[in-house]
Amino acid sequence: MNTSFNWKIAGAAGEGIKKAGLIFAKTCFKHGLSVHGYTEYPSLIRGGHNTFQIHASSADVVAPGFQLDVLVDIHGQAKDIHKAEITQQTVILADNLPLSDLVKQAGGSAKMKNMAALGASCFLLGLSLDKLNQTLAEVFAKKGDEIIQANHKVTQAGYNFAQKNFKNQAKPPIKANGENKDKVFLTGNQALSYGAIAGGMKLYAAYPMTPATSILHTLAAKAKSANITVRHAEDEIGTANMAIGAGFAGVRSMVATSGGGFSLMTEALGLAGITETPLVIVNVMRPGPASGMPTWSSQGDLLYVIHASQDEFPRIVLTPGDPQECFQLSKLAQNLAEKYQLPVIILTDKYLGESYFTINKPASKHQNQRYGLADTKTLKNDNPFPRYQDTDTGISPRSLPGQLGGVHLCNSYEHNQLGYATEDSAERIQQVNKRAKKIPQILKDPDFIKPILYGPKTASQTLISWGSNKSVVLQALKSLKSTNFIHFPLVWPFPAQAFQTLIKGSQKLITLECNSTAQLNQLITQQTGLQIKDKLLKYDGRPFFPEEIVSKLS
Amino acid sequence: MKRATTIKPTWCPGCGNFAILGAINQALDKLKLEPHQVTFVYDVGCSSNMADFAYAYGFHGLHGRALPAAAGIKLANFKLPVVAIIGDGGCYGEGLNHFVTLARGNHDILVISHNNYLYSLTTGQMSPTTKKGHQTPSTPEGSIEEPFNPLANAIINHATFVARGFAGNIPHLTNLLNQALNHKGFALLDVLQPCVTYNKDLTYDWYRKNIYDINKQGHDPKDKKKALELAYQTDKLPIGVFFQEQKPAYHEQVSNFSDTPLAQQDISNIDISSLL
Repeated sequence: MNTSFNWKIAGAAGEGIKKAGLIFAKTCFKHGLSVHGYTEYPSLIRGGHNTFQIHASSADVVAPGFQLDVLVDIHGQAKDIHKAEITQQTVILADNLPLSDLVKQAGGSAKMKNMAALGASCFLLGLSLDKLNQTLAEVFAKKGDEIIQANHKVTQAGYNFAQKNFKNQAKPPIKANGENKDKVFLTGNQALSYGAIAGGMKLYAAYPMTPATSILHTLAAKAKSANITVRHAEDEIGTANMAIGAGFAGVRSMVATSGGGFSLMTEALGLAGITETPLVIVNVMRPGPASGMPTWSSQGDLLYVIHASQDEFPRIVLTPGDPQECFQLSKLAQNLAEKYQLPVIILTDKYLGESYFTINKPASKHQNQRYGLADTKTLKNDNPFPRYQDTDTGISPRSLPGQLGGVHLCNSYEHNQLGYATEDSAERIQQVNKRAKKIPQILKDPDFIKPILYGPKTASQTLISWGSNKSVVLQALKSLKSTNFIHFPLVWPFPAQAFQTLIKGSQKLITLECNSTAQLNQLITQQTGLQIKDKLLKYDGRPFFPEEIVSKLS
Repeated sequence: MKRATTIKPTWCPGCGNFAILGAINQALDKLKLEPHQVTFVYDVGCSSNMADFAYAYGFHGLHGRALPAAAGIKLANFKLPVVAIIGDGGCYGEGLNHFVTLARGNHDILVISHNNYLYSLTTGQMSPTTKKGHQTPSTPEGSIEEPFNPLANAIINHATFVARGFAGNIPHLTNLLNQALNHKGFALLDVLQPCVTYNKDLTYDWYRKNIYDINKQGHDPKDKKKALELAYQTDKLPIGVFFQEQKPAYHEQVSNFSDTPLAQQDISNIDISSLL
């Protein structure tokens, strides 16, 4: 019995591919199915080749599937481009589905071809046309009843045509296990945005850059209801410096970008480091360097973000693997940045940021503690507050501008304990060491995120990876014998001890990542001395597909 | 009121920065602003070394980046007067995009540009305001670019307070500072600042002979066209308030603006149910 299906729609930019895909994905979600949506598109507004594919299942589904059950080919080129994904069982909707005629007969406009295709797809996959129409009405609510009704006629026409002509090709319907009441359907970027709000972020500044832009769109749309300030700033240098200014004044702040924008923020990253100002920077990776491949996925920035900026200072690098972790770690990042007074980098990628996942609904209510804020009530206003006082933990109490008794200088120059610039040997050494003391504190923190082992404790092969590969590997694991998997949701400071404990029961280690030089693999060697010979690497801008991993490892 | 730290200023004897700091302190005294009630954001340059000498909340940032940090502080806590201490290099060179954009947004910050027409902390290279043809260590045959016009650029980019002062006239400068500190919105105060070490052409005497007070001559700061005309004048240098208008500040126009600044909002319990 079928428990899942893979559906893909493909066409040119401007043909409503993503819109149709999203409506169909939400329709599947409404049926109570677990749904994953993955989109590929070039960096242009018209033309080219766009796809949206859905993997839907009665069981939890967390990654795209490779072999298609249905391919909707809107511009007639998809059959060739996606040859490898087509099997004898694949139903292809192309010339056999006269989209233009159907739309015309239903009284619709040429733009609605994609909706006729969705109607036909509903029939082929045993999905409810009513649920499709409900979803469509929700998505098009702002467009008004007239347009919704016109679209409903077109979906009906597509459905009727398929019923008449494709009866023998219809797939057996999949029965859902529940109603998805406790689930949400969202992207990694959306989950990360909501996590930041839950973590008390009050200021978000950004300059648009694919594939991080949807964080800006999400937060800007929710600014009023979430009571946050969102600013589309002049450039990435401006966003980062603005967020640091706000952090200095006591506001939890965040900026997000991709590698190019992160490069522009690098000097500000060091500014947050030496001034010990809380800052969260999100880098949603795409292939590079320079402009690279804007709308594709990559994990090429791992070693870069760990080392970016001149000289040495502590930082934390989080690498969430799915939207659940995007939410959780984005919230945690806000707290860690304030607790340790340092920059926290969240490293995700286009695949995780822009793909849609079905996850458990995050809790509604979130508690946040404030960290390190100095009580200066008993202090007079006549002496500088020792902002950079050397302490056992390296963390010094912080007063905020406007606070009586807390007057101090927050300084990008090397400084003494009072914050004033220094070039004195002993004071320089003291401040470098003070900042460095935070690293062992972070490693001891009960909130510290350790690598996680999935699958049996001992296995004949252990896959090791980080970030967005998590969900793909978990999907692959279901088809692999005697294989377990170690996922790093945090790579810096490197959790060497926890990792070494996890691999005690492992026989053969294999690292897997989306870059060409095996950066996590290098990091493991650098931090533990362990050399891992086997590595699976992919760097064509596409994520790994579970089937690929299975075929390479079994 | 305590305005100075125990650190002795390191500016050259006769540097215009002494006078500007003196005027700033007088203006703060006049407004009865205590050290904790004002926040300075410093760029990197001679003028910004004031960070170590002034007793007040301070953020000593990166070269060219004082303005976005200042705007961030203001968005975080609009109750704080935020003053950026910056030079012509940082403000009109490395940080020009910030200057133009924050002016257009009417961010409520006071930008005091210490304009000595050179990069002096790096030993006297040409700056964006250096006159064409000026010989400096980086332009030994004379600079090729035409100079940047700070006041005209501020006016056409919608700054709501635009003024020029002179470091050699402290009472006048103090008066301008008072007006600028009382202004709500983006305020540029460009200060003609003699650099006694590297700029031998633009001396105190030269300035005294070549400046005149436009407000004494009856210029109305509401007259934007006239203000722009005055900003273009280079044979003689006008000082005073060129332009001023009242418009809502950036922070008052953000969608979640409330009486409680972001920095004072409670984040201990956050309900996200409406977002999902």
